[in-house]
Parts: sequence; structure tokens; C-alpha cells
Amino acid sequence: MSTTTTTTVTINNDVINKLKESLLDVNQPIAKRFRALFTLRNLNCIESINAMTEALSDKSALLRHEIAYCLGQMENEHALKVLVSLVENTQEHPMVRHEAAEALGAIGSQLALDTLKVYSKDTVPEVSETCQLALSRVEWYTINDPESIESKVYLSVDPAPSLNKSVPFEEVRKQFLNRDLDIFNRYRALFSLRDMGDEKSVLALCESFLEPSSSLLKHEVAFVLGQIQHKSAIEPLKKVLLDENENAMVRHEAAEALGAIASTETVPLLEQLVKDKEPIVSESCLIALDVTDYFNNTEEFQYADGIKILLEKNLIEKQQQQQQQENK
Amino acid sequence: MSDDELKVEEYQQAGSGASHTYPVQCSSLRKGGFVVIKGFPCKVVEMSTSKTGKHGHAKVNITAIDIFTGKKYEEICPSTHNIDVPNVSRAEYIVVDVTDDGFLSLMDSDGAMKEDLKCPDDDLGAQIQKMIGEGKEVSIGVLSALGNEGVVTVKEAPKGN
Repeated sequence: MSTTTTTTVTINNDVINKLKESLLDVNQPIAKRFRALFTLRNLNCIESINAMTEALSDKSALLRHEIAYCLGQMENEHALKVLVSLVENTQEHPMVRHEAAEALGAIGSQLALDTLKVYSKDTVPEVSETCQLALSRVEWYTINDPESIESKVYLSVDPAPSLNKSVPFEEVRKQFLNRDLDIFNRYRALFSLRDMGDEKSVLALCESFLEPSSSLLKHEVAFVLGQIQHKSAIEPLKKVLLDENENAMVRHEAAEALGAIASTETVPLLEQLVKDKEPIVSESCLIALDVTDYFNNTEEFQYADGIKILLEKNLIEKQQQQQQQENK
Repeated sequence: MSDDELKVEEYQQAGSGASHTYPVQCSSLRKGGFVVIKGFPCKVVEMSTSKTGKHGHAKVNITAIDIFTGKKYEEICPSTHNIDVPNVSRAEYIVVDVTDDGFLSLMDSDGAMKEDLKCPDDDLGAQIQKMIGEGKEVSIGVLSALGNEGVVTVKEAPKGN
């Protein structure tokens, strides 16, 4: 069978349930569970949101935070309630609460403003800063129009809009590194540097790793370095990942950015840090290794391959054949 | 002095190597465009883009056919990676004759002769032989890419040209 053969799969509750089983299956490698999660995210419907929500009781903070991130990227108000409860739960891991607050900003609903206002004074800096950022973002988009798809370099829903393209590099760099500036305006410069994406912009982004700046800012820098996939970021990211005194959230993004850059020279380091005592870092390295493998595998097309796996196991076909018989 | 420099440049362009291909980002390829797959110059017949993961990166699946042999190739690569596009040029010639050793004797629109292209051993070659045998004026389309040339179309030339 040639790989160009396309199979049309009707997405129904049964398919969603099987993807959910794969996401919830603690006996599966974490990387496989992440692939199931992204498959559900890409389906972007109420049923897939409900399935993802069920996995929020998992013991992996990394998985819970990724679910919150995905719920924000889907920009569906159906996820508001669960995201609000994550932000409000002070027993929850700060990284998960941060991601839920950011997701509320991404969805941009006025309904979440009260929660964001309350927790913009949270004692955990990652949470309070994210809430401030989300409030600024919502406010920005009530005044300004959303960017057109054509003008966007990356399709992610970002926590702050890039600056106007006419702002010259030196000015953007200065704004980004200005520690007296509020987080929203530093983030705007951060995303402008990402959009520029050349070596000097990458190096300007990496400069923030050296200052005692906020963990939130550093983690976002590490994330966008994974989007840019520029090789000059490899060494600075390795340093961040190896620094055991660094916030786990920053080390996690550094690991996954290295995974996205997908240089095979990084593999030994990622393999070594799979043994890190911080589970967030260790699991991130497993995800990063899987992503590196995916990018370097010339046979593999889909990363979010949950449906492909169900087809290979004949789990979907059987069910749809049965349905056809029932219809007769 | 400047004339000499110009000559060198022209020579490099016509020569082998450097200018046979140029790189583009995979995501900018389009159906109907050219691409080099497994070292062969191809035309893209099908393109699809994968769904994304965390950082939003996708892969593209390219199906393309060799412009000379019609053989089908497939390639999967990250959409942000570069892929080579061949410089493909097309020329029309009148077939003056087919020589005994199987070469085409061709004339371009300026009347210059070209005699280094073999008559293909496929259907197109047979068609040329047949039409020449019948005393017809034959016009052919020749593509060149990656240092190779091949006949891609054969038609009867309008008389009196």
C-alpha cells in the first residue's frame, strides 16, 4: 500500500473515546500519550475538549500543563470553566496554573477577566505575571484588530502580539532586554525577535538567559527558540537544560526546544537528562527525543498520529464496518 | 576587463554544478512546480501538509513525477527545511534528420544546429522516426534540467516556417 492512499475516517464519539484511552493509558510511554493529546487538539471539537479535560487528574504535571496549553490554543470557550478551576486551585503545580491562565488569555473571553484579576496578585510569580499578561492581551485585542493569517510568521496563538514590523532590530532588542518594562511589552519585543528569526535575533533572545530575569520570560524565550529552530540556540539551550538551579519550567522548554531543533548531536544530552530527578525535566527529555526522532525520520508524516495508530490496529475500521452493517 | 568578467559568468552559468538547482523552503512548493527528489528533476503532482505538534511545525508530503521518465517519487520533509528546485529550461527545435547512429539533428529558431541529443527509445522517439519517414516537418519540445536533456513533446510543425 502506497503512503499516498488516503483513508477517510469519520470522527465520532467512538474515535474520540479511543484517543482518550490512549491519552489516559499510564502504561504507554509519555511521548505516545502526548501524540494522542495533539491528535485530540487538532480535532478541535467539544468532545475532544471533554476527553482532554478527563486527563487533568493525571499524576504528570507536564501532561496536565500541556493539556492546559492545548485548550488555550484551541480558542474554544467550552474550556473556560475547567481552565478557571485550574488557575483557582492553589494546590495545583504552578506550571499548570500558569498555562491555564495563559490559555484564558488566548481564548480572550471577557468571562475570565475576574479570575485573571484576582490571581494577578497571586504569590507565585509565574502565575501572577501570567495573569497580568493575559489581562493586557485581552485588553489589547479589544482595542486592536487581530493579525491577519498572512501577516503571521507562526500560527501559534501567542500571549502577546509582535511589535509593528517597522520597529528596527536594535530598538526591539533594547525593549526586550529592558528589565524596567512590564512583562507584556517585553513579550511583544520577544515575539518580534522570534518573527525576525535570524542569528542576531536568536542571540538577543538568548541574552535573557544570562540575566536574573523572570522565569516566565525565560521559559517563553526557550519556547520560541524551538519555533525558530536556529542552530545557534543549541548551546545556550543546553546550558539552561543542564542548570539544576534553573526553574523546571524553563528547563522543560529548553529540552523541548532542543527536540524541535532536532539536531542529532543533542540526543546524548537528552538521553542523559531522562534520568534527571525532576520529573518535569525528565519527561520533557523523553518528549524531545521523540520529536527529534520524528523530524529526522523521512518516512513519518504525522506527529499527531493517534488516528493512524487506531487504523493500524484496525480499531476504527472494525467499528465503522460494524456501523455500516447496522445501517443495512 | 569587464567583458572578460562577463564571459566567465556566462561560462559558469552554462557549465556544470552550481546553478543547476536553487534551494527553497519546502512549504513554498506548489502543485505543478519543479523539485529535485532523490536526485531526479521532478514536477510536483500532489502536496499535503501534516497537522502540527507543540511548536506548530508541520511536515509536507510531496508526490512528484520525473520530468524525463515519468517515474513517481515521494518525499516527506519538515516544511521549514530547504529542498532543491531544478532550473528547468525548455526549448523548441525543428528535427532536420535522425542520424544513422541515433542522434537527432536539430535546428533552433535562429537556425543554429544542435546534434548532441539522442533520439529517445520510447514512444516519442518512435513517433519522431515515423513522422520524419513520412516526410513531415517535426517540431519537438526539449527540457533541460540537472545537466540532462530530454524530449518531452513531439508535434507536426506548421508548414512554411
